[in-house]
Amino acid sequence: MPTQIVMNRNGDTRHYFDANDAAALAKAEERFKRLTGEGFTAAVRIKPGEVVRINSFDPKAEETLFFPRLVGG
Amino acid sequence: MFGFRRIPLGMRTRLKAVRGLYIHSNDENNPQARGLRLLHAWLSPPQLEQLDAKGHFDVIGSATGRKYRIHFGTSMNVHELDDAGRLKMGWCFVPEGCLVPGDVMLAQKIALETFESRALSVAIKFVPNERLC
Repeated sequence: MPTQIVMNRNGDTRHYFDANDAAALAKAEERFKRLTGEGFTAAVRIKPGEVVRINSFDPKAEETLFFPRLVGG
Repeated sequence: MFGFRRIPLGMRTRLKAVRGLYIHSNDENNPQARGLRLLHAWLSPPQLEQLDAKGHFDVIGSATGRKYRIHFGTSMNVHELDDAGRLKMGWCFVPEGCLVPGDVMLAQKIALETFESRALSVAIKFVPNERLC
């Protein structure tokens, strides 16, 4: 089942959704837009260890990872 | 005498800490363990092997092709390597908020592998600690 993984202070929070359910899909897309709008980076794995950044919602991605905006440490 | 390479004290401590976390990360469900499991799942097989053996892993910058070493930690843990594999420059950048080490290291890997220039533009440079290698 497709999953959106959002990094946070608890490690991460996972949101599972059914890609065949229009309402669930819309909610997942809304979450994508909200998080990226807040500065989160979204990335998906295309093969083991190889990751690409995405700028628009990919309903077919098995896992989409979100991490907060980068800042100088 | 037997051809073993002596591991510097700082690195031994770091390795011990990383291995200690690994032992517990498989069956625990705390934030640190979840972060390490997530990192494990998203590393390439060579990176995973390197992390397990040495407590760090290398990535290649998407824009410059430079090699970076990401050490276990949440700050001042990214180093650019020179052609001989020595630490050349430290780059400090982290995801905003208070994230666990596994999450921070994964974000750093993805940033360097997919948008290196932007990541470095926010980073603060520092002189590497020579005890690390």
